Amino acid sequence: MQREVGTLPLAPALRARLAAAGFQTAQELLDTGPCGLSKEIGISREEALEALQVVRQECHGDAARTAGESGATRRCTALELLEEEQTQGFIITFCSALDNILGGGVQLTKITEICGAPGVGKTQLCMQLAVDVQIPECFGGVAGEAVFIDTEGSFMVDRVVDIAAACVQHCHLIAEAQQEQDHWEALETFSLENILSHIYYFRCRDYIELLAQVYLLPEFLSEHSKVRLVVIDGIAFPFRHDFEDLSLRTRLLNGLAQQLIIVANDHKAAVVLTNQMTTRIGQSQSMLIPALGESWGHAATVRLIFHWDNSQRLATLYKSPSQKESTIAYHITSHGFRDVQPPAVTHSAEGTELNPRKRPRTEEEEK
Amino acid sequence: MDWDQFDLNPKTIAALKKADIKSVKEIFNLSGADLQRLMKLSSADIQCLLKTVSHTLRRNSMLTALQLYQDRDHLTSQHQKLSLGCSVLDNLLKGGIPLVGITELSGESSAGKTQISLQLCLCVQYPYKYGGLESGAVYICTEDVFPSKRLQQLIDQQQKLRADVPAEVIQKIRFGNSIFIEQAADLDTFQQCITRRLSLLLARGMVRLVVIDSLAALFRCEFGPSESALKARYLQTFGAQLHSLSTRFRTPIMCINQVMDAVSESEAAQCSCRALGNRVTPALGITWSNQLLMRLMVSRVSLPGHSSGVASHRAGSMRTLSVVFAPHLPPSFCYYTVQLEGVKGIK
Repeated sequence: MQREVGTLPLAPALRARLAAAGFQTAQELLDTGPCGLSKEIGISREEALEALQVVRQECHGDAARTAGESGATRRCTALELLEEEQTQGFIITFCSALDNILGGGVQLTKITEICGAPGVGKTQLCMQLAVDVQIPECFGGVAGEAVFIDTEGSFMVDRVVDIAAACVQHCHLIAEAQQEQDHWEALETFSLENILSHIYYFRCRDYIELLAQVYLLPEFLSEHSKVRLVVIDGIAFPFRHDFEDLSLRTRLLNGLAQQLIIVANDHKAAVVLTNQMTTRIGQSQSMLIPALGESWGHAATVRLIFHWDNSQRLATLYKSPSQKESTIAYHITSHGFRDVQPPAVTHSAEGTELNPRKRPRTEEEEK
Repeated sequence: MDWDQFDLNPKTIAALKKADIKSVKEIFNLSGADLQRLMKLSSADIQCLLKTVSHTLRRNSMLTALQLYQDRDHLTSQHQKLSLGCSVLDNLLKGGIPLVGITELSGESSAGKTQISLQLCLCVQYPYKYGGLESGAVYICTEDVFPSKRLQQLIDQQQKLRADVPAEVIQKIRFGNSIFIEQAADLDTFQQCITRRLSLLLARGMVRLVVIDSLAALFRCEFGPSESALKARYLQTFGAQLHSLSTRFRTPIMCINQVMDAVSESEAAQCSCRALGNRVTPALGITWSNQLLMRLMVSRVSLPGHSSGVASHRAGSMRTLSVVFAPHLPPSFCYYTVQLEGVKGIK
């Protein structure tokens, strides 16, 4: 009730008038009443009534909040955060080298940005993740659903079908090797049609549609609470033409990044963005850097840069709060995103603790 | 802008009109604080406005991947592609050219780029059943004159090339009538062509293929090395306009590009062309590559008497068509020759 007038959610012009008329606390407003208010600051009775309703609601909300627990701001200790982070799932990429440098895979509640030249595999990784997020928990996945926002039109569903079929096949082979009941139960719902039906696809043709779609994301994620991955492929394309005013672009991108951070945190989802590369012309040579400018570099928590070295594709972890910078090689096969060399053959399973995501590789599978 | 079509509070509509906000774009461009100040509404009202406008804009926009996969309607399906007129080449591309997006065909001179594009201009006119789109094509020339004699030759020989199509179907198609030729020798004419003429032809449903031969020619003389930022802006604008036309009308855009020598290994690697063994990269750099959906490369194969399987063809007339990158295809290639009746792949 002692709340200051300046902190109430009223229109700025109205707040200015109230301050000029000498009102300081919410209680004073409520005591004056609508008729007195309309006379004092020269607004209509209806407007005064509405303003008072807002004030009353706010005060009630305040009371409930202070009576109960904290509400909008959470208080917890670093130990609680550590425990939460350690039990957090990762979305695996099927390339164990990449998973290792990421610390387990693509992390939930964080924004990961993938930058690279055209053709290096950014969209392939996004499609792989959209399938991998759905892997059941008994196989080491997070059993979630995926939202795929496409701005370039590069989402080819035939390719997703190949990737999904390979993933289902992989899980089948694990289940056969380990012969556990819950594996077979999980596999009943982990089929090609199921995987495809849980990838929600949105096509945005310009930046307005993209901004509108991101505004609607929190509501969509509340309705579809199993979504654990939001992919935006690519974020640079709609913002790199048509912008005479670069400061407008920076402001819009910052707003977008903030909304995505909120979405990632509130809904425990991983947000994956793909970015283009642009040339920076230095004194003696030119090099490729991620597009959208320096300030956009702060938006993502984790940044991966994909590039070529002769004919080998490489992934560099360029920015991460917890992992060190390193580079690994990867392949894109007909099954999707994979390692370059298969990991060392593991001999018979009894006695050794098997990673539930991996199955023993046999000689014929080397690619 | 008629704000009444949105499901908004009358107070909000009045505020929008009073603040002279004319389009959805303006609403999104202004920050939350600016909107509050201009419209004299509270932040809750502004949030409500943004949500309502977003809802109306994105109504019915969600599809699941399963719906995309099961959609076989030739008007909307992703499975529908534009055939190249030869089953070997179509197999390389898993059906043909995708209908939405810019496809680039680059290669050295006389490698066969124009031949393939002419063949596409004829293929697009066939019925859906035979891999076409039942519509015409626009051919935008930027430097050479259009090869009309060769087109006539190809038209006369269509029956021989498309043995899978019954003769009466071929005879009914008036091939020459549906190919529109535009000349655009400089950037402004090209810009006019895309924004006016092309949208008109596409909106009337008269064409469903756009061939641009070639984009690099427009940029070769006009930009010095210090104007690379300006050149990049032009490329991005053209790319965005072509992309938007392609998406709106579900029309493939085929851009022919020339190649330059790759100065260093890293340059060749950057554009993913190293696998072909030749040290050439498509012109126009990474700015243009970012606009593409799919990149194809053609080159002449110089083999003095190769394996027995190809001994029947004249040595020196063998060419390769390779996929450099595509979201749905692995990097691969196939051989083809240019014959009287057109381009034919070799198994």
